[in-house]
Amino acid sequence: MDAVTVGTGPAVVLIASVLAIGAYLVAVVDRVLFALVAGRPVLWSVVTGPAREAAAVARRQPVTTEAPDRILWVMAPAAYAGLAAMALSVVPLGPGLAVADVRTGIVVFGAAEALAIVAIFLHGWAPNSALPLVAGYRFVGVALSYELLSMFVLIAAALPAESLSIGAIVASQEPVWNVVRQPLGLPLFLIVTAGVTFTGPLAIVDSPDLAGGGAAEDSGVVRLAWVGARAAMLVAFSAAAAAVFLGGWLGPVLPPIVWMALKTAAVAVTVLASRHLLARVSPERFVHIAWTVLLPLAFADLAIAGVVSL
Amino acid sequence: MTLVTVLLVAAALIGIGVWGALAQQTFVMIMMGIELMVNGAILAGAGVWAYAAGGVPEGQVLVIVAMAVMAVEMAIGFALVVAVYRTRQADMTEGISTLKG
Amino acid sequence: MTSAAFAVFSAAAIWTGWRVFRTDSMVRASFLLLASFLNVGALCVLLLAEYLGTALLFMMTVEMVVMALFMVMFMMNPAGLNPMNMVHQPRFAIGAGVVATLGLGGVAVAGAFPDAPAAPIPATIRALGSELLGDSMLVFETAGVTLVATMVCAVMLSSARGRYGDDDGGSVAPPLEPDGDHRPEDDLVDDGGGHGHMHHGGH
Repeated sequence: MDAVTVGTGPAVVLIASVLAIGAYLVAVVDRVLFALVAGRPVLWSVVTGPAREAAAVARRQPVTTEAPDRILWVMAPAAYAGLAAMALSVVPLGPGLAVADVRTGIVVFGAAEALAIVAIFLHGWAPNSALPLVAGYRFVGVALSYELLSMFVLIAAALPAESLSIGAIVASQEPVWNVVRQPLGLPLFLIVTAGVTFTGPLAIVDSPDLAGGGAAEDSGVVRLAWVGARAAMLVAFSAAAAAVFLGGWLGPVLPPIVWMALKTAAVAVTVLASRHLLARVSPERFVHIAWTVLLPLAFADLAIAGVVSL
Repeated sequence: MTLVTVLLVAAALIGIGVWGALAQQTFVMIMMGIELMVNGAILAGAGVWAYAAGGVPEGQVLVIVAMAVMAVEMAIGFALVVAVYRTRQADMTEGISTLKG
Repeated sequence: MTSAAFAVFSAAAIWTGWRVFRTDSMVRASFLLLASFLNVGALCVLLLAEYLGTALLFMMTVEMVVMALFMVMFMMNPAGLNPMNMVHQPRFAIGAGVVATLGLGGVAVAGAFPDAPAAPIPATIRALGSELLGDSMLVFETAGVTLVATMVCAVMLSSARGRYGDDDGGSVAPPLEPDGDHRPEDDLVDDGGGHGHMHHGGH
C-alpha cells in the first residue's frame, strides 16, 4: 500500500464529495441531536434545514471591520477546509481505497492537525477585532496543550502495525481492534477531535461567551465556508478515529466501505452529542487538566503499547 | 532539480537569514534570521543526502540534528527574552548595551 | 513535473523567507517564516526524504505558532498597523548576506560532489529509524539529553521566582537614550504603585 491507489481526478472528486456530503450530514445529525436532547419532535425539516440556513447566510449582505487582513480572512476557511482534505487523503476508506495512503500517513495527518491551529488562529486574527483575536489566542493556548496527546496516541497505534501508514494500521487490527488493545487511545483522540473542531466541551473558539468568538465578525459566504470547513474537519477526524482505533473497514457480512461509513458516523455522532450534553470547560482548567492528567495518560498509552509490541 | 540548484536555493536562504539576523534589532526577529539559516542548512543536508551521499541514513540524521538545534535555540532564546524583558524591559539589542544586571 | 514543482517551491521558500524581514506585522513575519519552512519541507519530500519533509511540516508549524505568540507578547506593532523600520547596520547586513549567498553558492557551483543519488527505495524511512534507534541509539540519546537540559535551562531562565526571591527584584529599566542616565522613576519593580510600562512609549 505504498503508492497512490486512486488517480488524481477521481481522488479530488472522492475527497470533495465525502467531505461535502459528510459535512451536510453533520449539520443534519446536529439538528436531530438537538431536538432529541431538548425533547422536541424530530421533524422532516431537519433534512432541508441546513440547506435553507446556508442559503440564507450566503445571501446576507457581507459586513466588514476596520482595516481587516482581507486575504487571511478569506484564506483561513479555505485553508481549514484544505487541511480537512489533506487529513482525509491519508485515511483509507476501504481496502486499497485511499487517495494517498503514504508511508508517513500519521505524520501527514499530524501536520494537517498542527496547521489547523494556524488556520484557526489566523481566522481569529484577520478581522482586526477584539473578540475574535481573544478567541484565537485562547485557542492557541489550549491547542498547544492537546497537540501532544494526538501525537502520542497515533504513534501508539502505529507500534503494533510497525508502520506509519494508516492503511497498515487498519490491517494490523485484524485480530483485535485498537480500541480494545489500547483503551486509552480512542477517548484521548476524541478529546483532540473536539479540540480541533472546537465542539462540545472544547467549544472555546466560536463560543457564545465571546459573542461568537473567532466567527463573530464573519458574514456571508465566509461564514458559510467557515461553518462548512468545521464540519468537514469533523468528518476527516471521525474517519481517522474509525480507521486508527475502530478497525476501519474491518467487519463481518457488510461490505468494507459500509463498515467504514458506519464507524465514522458513530464517532461523529459521539462528538456531536457532546456538544449538546456536556458543558464547555473553561480554557485554563482544560490546559491544567491536559498537562497534568491527559498527557500522562497519553504517555501511559504509548508505554503500554510499546511493552505489548515487544 | 539537481544538486547544484538545491544548494543554490539553500545558499540563498542562508544569505537571507544572515542579512535578517544582522540587520534586525529585536531579539525575536534575530532568532527568525537564525531559524532561516538553519532552514537553508536543512535543505542543503537533504540535497546532499539525496544526490551525493547515496541515501545513507546518516544524511537524514544530520537533518534531525538540525531540527533539534532549532528546538533548543527557540526554547533557550525565548527563555532569555523573557528573562531580559523581565529585568530590563528591553526587547531590542540596543536596550541592553551593557551587561550590568 | 518535478522540475516545475521544485521551481515553485524553492521560489516560494526564498520569497517568503525574504518577506519575513520586510513586513511590518510581527504575526505575518512568523507565518511567512512558517511558509518558508513548509516549502522547504515540500522540497525535502521531492528529494525523497519523505519522513523529514512531513516531520518538518508539523514541527515547524507548532514552533511558529509559539513564535507568533511571543511576537505579540513582546513586540510592538504585532498587527503591522504602523509602518516601522527596526533595523540597524543595514549596509553591513546586506553585504554579509550577499557574501554568504555568493560564498556558499560558489561552493555549490564549483565544488566537486560525488554523484551518488539516493535510490528511490521504500526503505529510507526504515533505515532512518534504525539509524536513530539502532544498537546504541546514540543520536536519540544525545538529542534527548540535550532537550532535557534545554527544558531545565528554559524553566530556570524564565521562572518568575528563584532561590533569592523574585527574579526581577532590584531590576532597572533601560535608559531612554543610549548611554543616557538611568531614571529611577522608570523602574519596573518599585515599592509602591506607578508600574511604569513606558517601554514602548520611548521609541
